[in-house]
Amino acid sequence: MMKKFYFILFSLLFPAAPAYICAQQLTAKEIVKKADEKFNGEKSSETVMAMTIVRPTWQRTVEFKSWTLTRDYNLTLITFPAKDAGQSFLKRGNEMWNWNPAISRLIKLPPSMMSQGWMGSDYTNDDIMKESSVVNDYTHEITGSAIVEDRECWVIKMLAKPDAAVVWGHQVRWIDKKDFLLLKAEYYDEDGTLMRTETGSDIKSMDGRMIPTKLVLKPMDEPGNSTVVVIKNIKFNIPMQQSFFSQQNMKRIH
Amino acid sequence: MKSYLLAWRNLWRNKRRTLITVASVFFAVFFALLMRSLQLGSYAHMFQNVIESYTGYIQVQNQDFRDNSTVDNSFDFTPDIRKLLLSDPNVTNLVPRFESFALASTGPLTKGVLVMGIDPEKEALLSDVRHRLVRYRLTPEAIDSIKQMDIPGNVKSKLDLFRGESYASPSILQLDLGIKDRDAGKIMPGIERVTRISNGYLTAGKKEALLGDDLARYLNLNIGDTLVMIGQGYHGTTAAAKFRIVGIVKLPTPDIDNKIVYLPIGVCQEFYNAPGMLTSMALTVKNKSDKAINRTLKSLGKQLPSPLRLLGWREMNELLINQMDADNKSGAIMIGILYLVIAFGIFGTVLMMTTERRREFGVLTAIGMQKSKLAAIVSFEMVYIGLLGILSGIAAALPVIIIGQYHPIRFSGEYAKVYESYGMEPVMPFMNVNNYFLWQSVIVAVIVLIAIAYPVRKIYKMKLVNSLKA
Repeated sequence: MMKKFYFILFSLLFPAAPAYICAQQLTAKEIVKKADEKFNGEKSSETVMAMTIVRPTWQRTVEFKSWTLTRDYNLTLITFPAKDAGQSFLKRGNEMWNWNPAISRLIKLPPSMMSQGWMGSDYTNDDIMKESSVVNDYTHEITGSAIVEDRECWVIKMLAKPDAAVVWGHQVRWIDKKDFLLLKAEYYDEDGTLMRTETGSDIKSMDGRMIPTKLVLKPMDEPGNSTVVVIKNIKFNIPMQQSFFSQQNMKRIH
Repeated sequence: MKSYLLAWRNLWRNKRRTLITVASVFFAVFFALLMRSLQLGSYAHMFQNVIESYTGYIQVQNQDFRDNSTVDNSFDFTPDIRKLLLSDPNVTNLVPRFESFALASTGPLTKGVLVMGIDPEKEALLSDVRHRLVRYRLTPEAIDSIKQMDIPGNVKSKLDLFRGESYASPSILQLDLGIKDRDAGKIMPGIERVTRISNGYLTAGKKEALLGDDLARYLNLNIGDTLVMIGQGYHGTTAAAKFRIVGIVKLPTPDIDNKIVYLPIGVCQEFYNAPGMLTSMALTVKNKSDKAINRTLKSLGKQLPSPLRLLGWREMNELLINQMDADNKSGAIMIGILYLVIAFGIFGTVLMMTTERRREFGVLTAIGMQKSKLAAIVSFEMVYIGLLGILSGIAAALPVIIIGQYHPIRFSGEYAKVYESYGMEPVMPFMNVNNYFLWQSVIVAVIVLIAIAYPVRKIYKMKLVNSLKA
């Protein structure tokens, strides 16, 4: 009797424990969805980032500001270096445009450019567009647990649905059990060859949420290359209008 | 009497026969020389075209640039490297280049272009872009006003064939229109006046561009318009800028003419975010012989710091050299066939001569001449004929070749267009007198010597009775 009482008391004192027990009930798909929302915001977000492109003989940093509204709208403005500053990228649904103030041209990025590096980094235009959904275009399965960054994580294998327009054959994601943080991801091609890894670290509280603020992307076929993204500031679920994501605004925003 | 004297006199006993035989050798040498000279000449011309107007004889590059020609594989051109390069006695000047690709656009039209940053003044030492500037153009208006002029009918019909064509020199314009030299003084000034267009050149430091004629036509751009270019700069930066078009150039190679954009080198470096960097540095040399160039390559190659390397023209034009080699093989087969035809021609005349003189040989032997002496005389005769043929062949070919060197055969009209569409300048120059002269002569001489075997054998196997009855 007493034993049972202590157990209930223990549970009340340490709410994380029942949360853990509850989370066990979550499906793999829900975990991935929560982790995705955690980072991108349920509705909208505003982020200030610095991206460092690392190559064997040199490295270069680009800073930018990015606004997102649901999965469909995104606007990114380059703020550093001066030569690139003022360039902006707009995503609306499946389409992407680039505004370049040096030539006063609005360029629509064709589908053929989607697999090319964004601003010379290892991120492709497709990564930035996030045309495919990690929630809807994959089937998810929890394959185990592991410790990443001193945190206990679910290991989730995501297999691309046969009819989904995705780049990868399958992905493996390590998602923190407590805060639903994506701490590590491996991307494989159709033949099951590891193509790149992405790791999250420097977990900090930003706008009331714990998130990894440093993301490192390493392409496997090019040793010595990597791209490091550091999140300097992020705000979640701020009021945003669809009209903000317009071609006119791309040119106006500074 | 000495047999060589007898042989000489024998030759002129029957002049016609001798001349026929000499003629067959003469034509053999004459045609073999011309054919070889044209072939070698067009190779040399092609190399010269490419080397002197584009790559130069020696270049300095980053060692990775050749395999991966991106701006990231450019190199920092420091004063130390400059000093080192100029320290070589054979190096006369340095021509800096910054080459890369970009997208050029106007309105809805976009095309991938080859962007070449050049030093507007020093480039004159190599490609001499200034002389490629378009000076005359057959615009529809110009054609209409030329048709009003008093010109021959064949020129009028050619006007429409070359509608819209651009020219850097009046002589090509004259040639395309089929205007004869004697009419040129009367007609050309008027045509030049109505077709002339003004054209500017690059100024160092100004955001200006020169465009290839084909490219300008494709993009529908003209002097004074704005060219928009976007591409990837140094270390993945965005290269995007607007340039004012100051001139249109007409390059002999259509494959380059339809994609070249020249920028002043400083402006080009800034465009690609690579100030002070070069993709290649072409060296002009005093002595262009293979030996001198190899010496320079060796001595400078040892001293250059690690990321840099030297390239000779052979290395830079490997593809072209391979193509030439293949073409040279087919040329050798052609010339082999020519020799075969010639050999049978010579042999035919020798056969005829031997049959004709059967009775003569018989009589000479009958009155006591030794067969060996007779064979020697006939051999001398053949050697004389061979020498006469070879020397006269050379004598006839020499002026043709020398004139052809300074006034190469230039195709015009439709032929020129076919040539240009294959990326070649429509000219066919002759090769300078060289050791190929010796080789052609030696080969014909060998054919003649082989032909001697027949009469000699005939003389030794001669049955006196039969030949006396012949």
